[in-house]
Amino acid sequence: MNEITTAFAEGISRSGISPAKISMPSDIPFAPEVVKQLGVDYFHTTRGRAIAFGTGLKLGNPALKVMPVVGDLMTLGGNHFVHGGRRNMELLVICVNNFVYTNIAGKQVPAAGAVFSPYSTFEEPFNFPHLGNSCGAIYTARWTALHTEQLADSIAEALHKNGLSMIEVLAPGPNYYTDISSIASDILAFYYEHSIVKNGEDPRNVGIVPEEKIIVGKFTDKERPTFIDQYNAQLSKMLGDKFTPHGYVPTVEESGGKHA
Amino acid sequence: MGGKSKGSDKVKANPKEVLTGVYYIDGDVASGFGALAAGCRFIGGYPITPSTEAAEAFAKVAPKAGAVFIQMEDELGSMAAVVGAAWSGVKSMTITSGPGYSLMQENIGFGAMLETPFVLLNIQRGGPSTGVPTKTGQADMMQSRWGAHGDYEVIAISPDSPQEMFDYTIKAFNLAEKYRCPVMIMSDECVGHMTEKVVIPPADEIEIEPRRLYTGPPDQYVPFKPDEDLVPKMARAGDGYNLYISGLVHDERGYPVEPSAFKAQYVRRLVDKIRRNKDKIIELKEEGTDDADVIVVSYGISSRVAVKGIEIARERGIKVGNLRLVTVWPFPDEKIAALATKAKAFVVPEINYGQIAFEVARCSHGHANVVLVPHGGAGVHIPDDIADAIEYAFKAEGKIERVIEFKTRLERTVFEEGYTLKE
Repeated sequence: MNEITTAFAEGISRSGISPAKISMPSDIPFAPEVVKQLGVDYFHTTRGRAIAFGTGLKLGNPALKVMPVVGDLMTLGGNHFVHGGRRNMELLVICVNNFVYTNIAGKQVPAAGAVFSPYSTFEEPFNFPHLGNSCGAIYTARWTALHTEQLADSIAEALHKNGLSMIEVLAPGPNYYTDISSIASDILAFYYEHSIVKNGEDPRNVGIVPEEKIIVGKFTDKERPTFIDQYNAQLSKMLGDKFTPHGYVPTVEESGGKHA
Repeated sequence: MGGKSKGSDKVKANPKEVLTGVYYIDGDVASGFGALAAGCRFIGGYPITPSTEAAEAFAKVAPKAGAVFIQMEDELGSMAAVVGAAWSGVKSMTITSGPGYSLMQENIGFGAMLETPFVLLNIQRGGPSTGVPTKTGQADMMQSRWGAHGDYEVIAISPDSPQEMFDYTIKAFNLAEKYRCPVMIMSDECVGHMTEKVVIPPADEIEIEPRRLYTGPPDQYVPFKPDEDLVPKMARAGDGYNLYISGLVHDERGYPVEPSAFKAQYVRRLVDKIRRNKDKIIELKEEGTDDADVIVVSYGISSRVAVKGIEIARERGIKVGNLRLVTVWPFPDEKIAALATKAKAFVVPEINYGQIAFEVARCSHGHANVVLVPHGGAGVHIPDDIADAIEYAFKAEGKIERVIEFKTRLERTVFEEGYTLKE
């Protein structure tokens, strides 16, 4: 995780957006020392719910940049991700895939066989970028914990996108696994040997398949009206001047009370 | 526009959010209007009978006042979004019924752990499971108290009319902000769909509890350091406080900690901030209890039916007191204990097979008998049943250690004809 949090810091810095305006709901327990360095507001939420929590943050204060970092994305968080994409809610979803929790492992992947699946796994994995793109995400990319430069660039770029962007990050599991064996370093060596950069690749072709190279890169980048854009357009049409477009950010006093 | 009122931290409601006037509306709609008047700026919900009209009412009026309604993908997401919205700095709420309420428990516990102010309206219907979607029930009362895992305290209010649905929705928001905890409006289908006159007063007659915002220097902010009343001040996301907020047991800084001393300190405060302030929180309506032989303890729609039952029993010459639990949680332990030493028995009509009746028994410490008037749901009590239960309680000899289940007309049918109903 250290590699990717470094990339988070670098990506936020390159975006030019003040970290104070970035909220990072996550179901991954980042250490306070790490998050405090990032300078963002961090919320360790319930498993898989970071996108839904982030939806509340964004609609409560549209001035926030919300970057859910999700581990249980397509298990507990699946429906939230699908609908977040459909609505084009302004969220930068970082999907941290450690090959354990998301049932995505092929038999080559050491972590899958080590702990949760003593007899290895046989389930078909999800192709996250393809799924995200199909659900309406406007930006999809995948990098590994080795591609910190590209990951930082993707984060910087996606933070300026209007709508739901997703970046899948292949990263070793937390230190739990590194303590019991040298699996983490094995995975990094695995990424080095098995990944290939193909920017612009059709997301349909980037599924992770055992025995084949892992395709990384920025796959899609498009524009589509966001939830708030559509909300404002629809209600302006229906209510005319009785409607105040959403996007107004209350002052501290207004949040604290009802001052004019 | 609004401003601070004298001698209180409370402020006046924003006229833009108060739909002043006299209405003939149902309880659901009144609650939706109450939420707006209370300053709610975000409702995330998922439609479910019989609560949907409340969400519809809010969704209709919210955009004109700068508030947002979003229909989320499910109740899991609704509750998570409500907690998220609260941390963005706005007052937030969700609206649901039985099956949705079960799904929300995960993030209710999460919200309680983060000391998040939010309001949840549960228009109870018949359960368990899908139950009877279109008819009433009061069987979620214990769930409202113990629904999520772990130790925490909530506040639960049980209105009994559309006017109260408006008034107590505002009060629910005020309590949520004051104590930074989930506040449940435990209504039911009858009150939710009951249509009566509702008077919405002018904004300057509505008092609003503002958020306990911390506005000092970020480097001095300790997110979970409590004030004297055990409630800490809250900061908003995006204001530069570099928040670290976690559902893990945490210290005052918000950092995860494991030693049991911290758990005792933190979780203890989560429960104590409600328990030690319960005298300020609890609202009861009491009538004729001073010299009563039998006291009826009720809440929600059952308290409306109980009024008639009490009237009938009084006509039979029994001295009956009426104790209505407007606040159900925290429970008025001391009040029940004090009344138990004076009265002969309590009669508890509720639309379930015994939830609050057992709380009443717990608090009466064997000093007074407790008679439960059960109802399986999908309807309300017959007032004569409540009157008969009062008479039975009045005539019962000696102390009976267990909660006595009164056989209502409906229950007698079941017991006489067996558990399998014939057409």
